[in-house]
Amino acid sequence: MYGLPWSLIVTLVGGAALTGAACGLLGTFVVRLRLSSLGFTMSHAAFAGAALGLALGIEPLTLALIASVLTAAVLGPVAERAKLPADVITGVLFPLTMALGLIFLYLAPGTAMSSSALGLLWGSLLAMTHTDFLWLMGLTGAIVLTIGLFFKEFQALLFDRKLAEESGIPTRPFYYLILFLTGATIALALRLVGGLLVFVLLQSPAATAFQFLYDLKKIFFWAALLGVSYAGVGIALSFAFDLPIGSAIVLVSTVGFGLAVWRSPKRRR
Amino acid sequence: MATPVIELRDVSTVYEGERVPAIREINLSIELGEFVAIIGPNGAGKTTLLETINGLLPYTRGQVLVLGQDVARFGPQLRSQIGYVPQEFQFDETTPVLVRDVVLMGRYGQIGLLRRPSTEDRTRVQEALELLGLAELAERPIGKLSGGQQQKVLLARALAKEPKILLLDEPFSHLDFAARDEVAELIARWHRERGLTTLIVLHDLEAIPSHCHRVVLLDGGRIRQDGARERVVQAFTLAYGK
Repeated sequence: MYGLPWSLIVTLVGGAALTGAACGLLGTFVVRLRLSSLGFTMSHAAFAGAALGLALGIEPLTLALIASVLTAAVLGPVAERAKLPADVITGVLFPLTMALGLIFLYLAPGTAMSSSALGLLWGSLLAMTHTDFLWLMGLTGAIVLTIGLFFKEFQALLFDRKLAEESGIPTRPFYYLILFLTGATIALALRLVGGLLVFVLLQSPAATAFQFLYDLKKIFFWAALLGVSYAGVGIALSFAFDLPIGSAIVLVSTVGFGLAVWRSPKRRR
Repeated sequence: MATPVIELRDVSTVYEGERVPAIREINLSIELGEFVAIIGPNGAGKTTLLETINGLLPYTRGQVLVLGQDVARFGPQLRSQIGYVPQEFQFDETTPVLVRDVVLMGRYGQIGLLRRPSTEDRTRVQEALELLGLAELAERPIGKLSGGQQQKVLLARALAKEPKILLLDEPFSHLDFAARDEVAELIARWHRERGLTTLIVLHDLEAIPSHCHRVVLLDGGRIRQDGARERVVQAFTLAYGK
């Protein structure tokens, strides 16, 4: 593959697969719990955080993670209690986080349009390091383990939160655990897909799986697999046609989701 | 005198962001094995009362004791012993859960963290499904069922829990007449045979089961009458018409 050493190829391909799988798994919660607005805002906060890191000369992913998780911690209770409609949250905070991200990029010394800065905007496979790969492996493992250990609690929460509480499950810790893992996933996915488009991998694979399945275990499995596939095909397209990786993944995801909606048995009368 | 199974002492519940309590200064004591009907006009606070008892709504004043424990402190543990059928439910066609799983989920609180449902749990679920004539629908998605069938599933879920207390909020509202009589008989049998304590919210006075001898009339968030069925129903009819 373009004369790259095997160790690098494993890092790149493995990293992309893990990003797709982690996003697909978490996306199942984002889609079902209607956390799209929150996820959207978190992804742009992560972008702003990474841009600040670039401007200050600090590891961008660290600040992306902090910004994303902080956003979840602040907006989680707001979304949970529906004090503000989701579109209001997005409408106000999306421009703010984008504006901050662009200001930080502008202030970054000598990097206004460097590959690092552009990578933050629309993703770059080559920006993925071995350390990122290890972090992604740890995170994906943690997500799989968490879902496996607490499957019945998550199943109840994804069915109906009030009924889950009624059966004696304290749902709040699980809700915040989902938000924390989503924040971490967004921050780590930033390398591959970029701050502008990272959200698509949290939405499309799971939304596609939901078009066909009623069994939550299968939905988790297929969402992860579709996440890997969308990321993989997107990367192939990106290499073949020299497109930005994030944009290529978005195109593949959108086509995949569109086909799923068209063929969905759930939508047939 | 035995400890009441449910005891509300001067309880008020205010919804978040509101000032006026939905129920106020409620004093209510329910003994083991009682079957109590809660009646009242729309907006009287009937659902709020049930959800204050099982702790889904936090009370803002007074104290609620269920099975001798404060529901504010022991909410999840107590809810795992209370079967609740809510009035409001809506599962869209795409809801990714099968009927059998909906019923099984009723037992999740009892099963506890990090433990999987046992054969015993699945047996109880199957029994509840058969009892309500839902066995053939067990593998269907909940969202594909009619409103009446969904209401039966929620009742099966509450019964599969093998609860000590049953809270039923308009449990016949989506059922046709034939199903209503059948379900009313089933509830009465379970109440009797399992020694349950049951509270049932109804707006239709004719739906009050014949074996229910105590009725509580709620209006404006306050208890207006609490006593023998005939007396309270008569008071309600006089005040509001039928």
